[in-house]
Amino acid sequence: MNMHTQPQRTPAETALIDAFGDRLSLLPGDGAVMLKRDDAIEAIKHGLPTRRIESWHYTDLRRLLNVVPDFDPAAAAKAIAPIVDGSTVLTLLNGVSSAKAPVVEGVSVQRLFEKLTDGSIAPGLDPYGSDDAIGALNTAFVADGYFVDIADGVELEKPIELQNLQAGGQTHVRLPVRVGAGAKAVIVERQAGEGAALTSSVCQLVLGEGAEVTWLIVQEQPETATHLAQFKAHIGKNAKLTLFVMNAGGRLVRQEIMVKTTGEGADFKLRGINLLAGDTHTDVTMVLDHAVPHTASTEVIRNVVTGKARGVFQGRINVHQYAQKTNAKMACNTLLLSDDGEFSTKPELEIFADDVVCGHGATVTEIDHDHLFYLMARGVDEKSARGLLVKAFVAEVIEELDDEAIVEALEARLDDWFVTHG
Amino acid sequence: MLEIKNLHARIVDDGTEIIRGLNLTVKAGEVAAIMGPNGSGKSTLSYILAGREDYEVTEGDILYNGQSILEMDPAERATSGIFLAFQYPMEIPGVATMEFLKVAMNEQRKARGEEPLKIPEFLKRVKDAAASLNMDMAMLKRPLNVGFSGGEKKRAEILQMKLLEPKLCVLDETDSGLDIDALKIVSDGVNALRAPDRAFLVITHYQRLLEHIVPDSVHVLYKGQVIKSGDKSLALDLEANGYAGVIGEAA
Amino acid sequence: MPAVQDTIDRVRKIDVDQYKYGFQTEIAVDKAPKGLSEDIIRFISAKKDEPSWMLDWRLEAYRRWLALEEPTWARVNYPKIDFQDIYYYAAPKSTPGPTSLSDVDPEILKVYEKLGIPLKEQEILAGVQKTDASELEEVSDNVYKSGRVAVDAVFDSVSVVTTFKKELAQAGVIFCSISEAIREHPELVQKYLGSVVPTSDNFYATLNSAVFTDGSFVFVPKGVRCPMELSTYFRMNEKNTGQFERTLIIAEEGAYVSYLEGCTAPQRDENQLHAAVVELVALDDAEIKYSTVQNWYPGDADGKGGIYNFVTKRGDCRGDRSKISWTQVETGSAITWKYPSCILRGDDSSGEFYSIAVSNGYQQVDSGTKMIHLGKNTSSRIISKGIAAGFSQNTYRGQVSAHRKATNARNFTNCDSLLIGDQCGAHTVPYMEAKNSTAQFEHEATTSKISEDQKFYVMQRGIPEEEAIALIVNGFVKDVIQQLPMEFAVEAQKLIGISLEGSVG
Repeated sequence: MNMHTQPQRTPAETALIDAFGDRLSLLPGDGAVMLKRDDAIEAIKHGLPTRRIESWHYTDLRRLLNVVPDFDPAAAAKAIAPIVDGSTVLTLLNGVSSAKAPVVEGVSVQRLFEKLTDGSIAPGLDPYGSDDAIGALNTAFVADGYFVDIADGVELEKPIELQNLQAGGQTHVRLPVRVGAGAKAVIVERQAGEGAALTSSVCQLVLGEGAEVTWLIVQEQPETATHLAQFKAHIGKNAKLTLFVMNAGGRLVRQEIMVKTTGEGADFKLRGINLLAGDTHTDVTMVLDHAVPHTASTEVIRNVVTGKARGVFQGRINVHQYAQKTNAKMACNTLLLSDDGEFSTKPELEIFADDVVCGHGATVTEIDHDHLFYLMARGVDEKSARGLLVKAFVAEVIEELDDEAIVEALEARLDDWFVTHG
Repeated sequence: MLEIKNLHARIVDDGTEIIRGLNLTVKAGEVAAIMGPNGSGKSTLSYILAGREDYEVTEGDILYNGQSILEMDPAERATSGIFLAFQYPMEIPGVATMEFLKVAMNEQRKARGEEPLKIPEFLKRVKDAAASLNMDMAMLKRPLNVGFSGGEKKRAEILQMKLLEPKLCVLDETDSGLDIDALKIVSDGVNALRAPDRAFLVITHYQRLLEHIVPDSVHVLYKGQVIKSGDKSLALDLEANGYAGVIGEAA
Repeated sequence: MPAVQDTIDRVRKIDVDQYKYGFQTEIAVDKAPKGLSEDIIRFISAKKDEPSWMLDWRLEAYRRWLALEEPTWARVNYPKIDFQDIYYYAAPKSTPGPTSLSDVDPEILKVYEKLGIPLKEQEILAGVQKTDASELEEVSDNVYKSGRVAVDAVFDSVSVVTTFKKELAQAGVIFCSISEAIREHPELVQKYLGSVVPTSDNFYATLNSAVFTDGSFVFVPKGVRCPMELSTYFRMNEKNTGQFERTLIIAEEGAYVSYLEGCTAPQRDENQLHAAVVELVALDDAEIKYSTVQNWYPGDADGKGGIYNFVTKRGDCRGDRSKISWTQVETGSAITWKYPSCILRGDDSSGEFYSIAVSNGYQQVDSGTKMIHLGKNTSSRIISKGIAAGFSQNTYRGQVSAHRKATNARNFTNCDSLLIGDQCGAHTVPYMEAKNSTAQFEHEATTSKISEDQKFYVMQRGIPEEEAIALIVNGFVKDVIQQLPMEFAVEAQKLIGISLEGSVG
């Protein structure tokens, strides 16, 4: 008999553990996959992370995840129009992939439950570290997703849009994507739906030598949903990844970004906007590893906080000992528009190589009064003037993406948000 | 005073050979001008003379007063009397120019076995030198080169040269970024330092500077070699006809 | 270190390896048995003739401490400390009240001599009693041209002397050891002790509350501008002793005081523990400036020995328009765990933190500050310069938070790190928490190495490599050095040069 006293489980922890028992027979996977699932649920049995775990300092998951909905086989999500016309759309409706995936030359698409069943993706199910609660939750329950492979040298003309849509209950999906050497692609990850769902979503991107990818995460879950997401990427030699993250919804959201430069000349750009409203909690946590010499990264995050929203940005840049000549810059700017809102930032630098140029900046401000005055002096009323300035503050980040169709599509999403919340 | 023999040197990082068999002799009291098109190795030559570690000498030698300087570090070369006026002087935040001058001057004195300067004597020397270069003392209280304009930086270089009293002065494109008045002041400063026991290596792209600092000899550098030497008329010839003719001749 | 212009130069001449203060002084010592228990605490309290309330306070802290765990969140690694293997009380045996230098323990005088402290100042330090005021005047004039400094010297666990007491008393300033304050001014101590750092605050502060043996006490009454700099000189001497000093500084309405703290310890193979608590209280319109030059023994070239420095320093801007300013130059200790903080409680109050942390060899530094904005229109400023060399790890950890009611809170933070060599690490961990829409926080941080271009430029003027680096580093830390009182500034610059010796090549 173990004499250690188990801390009192929260209802959410109990619900997850019970659900695992109930679902076990329905989950796809060979022996290797099932072993990973077992390890994952063990991790959850040890308790969800609290603020005492440094990486969860501002998002006490144990406290905040107070409701876990049951799995709902009847939930029926519907596909939506892609943000860029003509995109190749791969849908996941309530966590289930489609049997009729569109065919694009040079791109192979496989339904993930097949790869779970045959066990071929088992190695990819390992957690990121001991505090990887999202990875554990997803590994325990993941049932489907897509495996996308873009062949070497393929340059896609149209974006691929991965739609993960829910209509309540729980969904747990995984999206491994490999982009071959010299290939070019724009990939849109849509996270949306209706209802008080719990979603976990894990993307695993590998960029081959010289590959160039723009990846957009557009998260517009309803203000009742819990959205726990992970985006992991390895950037190979001379490869370029631009990651754009837009959070404009969700009750409890944590978007983790774990990126590693694995080849010299790798380049990473992160641009993010967090539009926070209502009584919600949104956390973007990035860990960037500069693991080899001569790689560069820039990160710009802009946040707008209204209502009772709480926002978090944690960004850690690790420069490994042999990663000389690293150039890394990070900025996080927040407009706090409400006295009931809060924003916490923790931009970290962990540097073990001496020949580097690294920096970060962070600001929390209100709207610039001079700018406001200027606009009002030109006859714009205060409310509109504020709206213009706030929108300009975030639109700057979007406009940096040098693809007109994408800029337009994102600005349309931005307009939508301001119509509802502005 | 300076004898460069069959010098070959390359960039340490990528192995690119910049200096390819360069020969040059400069006597005490001589003002030698080094001219050449962009990328001919002019600035590299100045860095190698001063001992920058980014370049590696693979062949040949540099003799200064008959001694090879290849094994000396930049500070040792400086205290032996070699001075480089930088094309782009470095900004050193937080280090007051005056403080820097004092440390540098006293290092020179230490190398010569002299006592450190007393503060009043130090101040007097700096004031005199600054006045001769039309420099404001207030500028010298600011951190070294920080926020100095291009012209101010060049003047500060000449001020340092005056105060450190070197024997071999290497001026790397000292005329770049100077308006005509500043060019005059800087040139006058250099001319005032001309002495029988002091040599100058004036590196420039244009003949303009040489109207003010009249050279005893002119050497054309191309692809890491001296391809032609002559007197000051060579500079005028280059000004009138460009480098193409000289390069063609050598080819 | 009490500030003496040529102290460092003189000490450098004493050949004691890299660490220039690493000599041990043989002084007769009165020690309690090793280990910690309620009995030891009773022993300490009895030794110091403390009133019963003080003993009760200590015992309560001790009982809390038993239930606490050592914190592990800082970026420092060290073998577990055996708290039962430490002497918690060691006092030099010295006859009280010497009247001339010949009465002072010659070993203590030797320490001053090794440190290059002039004779007149040695007299002051050693507490030679001068009865005639004019004589006092003359002594002090000889000590500093730029100003006078009153010194409280703490050896191991107890304060041995405090200088200039009478003159300070004339101005109404109380400057004495905390033990004396407990006896002579119990009402002030009871009112303020633990009011900024409560006994339950953290593991080390709680330990300190239980076992602190001495430290300084400063009280500047309403409207008084303290007529001279106050300084405490800490030195750990005895083997296996912990030093647990407790400092309490109170500036009443409109008062001003500038306080300097210096520390050294002898070279030893084993690690020694230092866990101090400093509490500052500033009432309306008061200003406290607290400067530290910390040069505890950092351990040898292989990382053996050195001081574990776990310090809790906090200032409470309790009054409106009050101001607390921390300046620190940290070059010593094997492990530094230190976050001098400001609680900006009063409206329009302001806090400042200026820091230079230099680490070399196997030193580990985790230091920074907390600026807690509670009142209206409060402002804070953080300038931190970290320099890592050798195999050291240097972390800045800082928190800035604006609470709901802290309208118009302002913070500016700048932390720059410099790396010298490729075996060390520099880390920046800022926490920014805004809960008020009128807050304006600005944070910037950079990490880089000394540029080769700068180094080449300086060397081209004839300055050898090591000096060139010291010059550039001193430029890098200039903004902080300027915040120090002048005597300290010179000393601090030299210390930085010394602690970076051997970091090149």
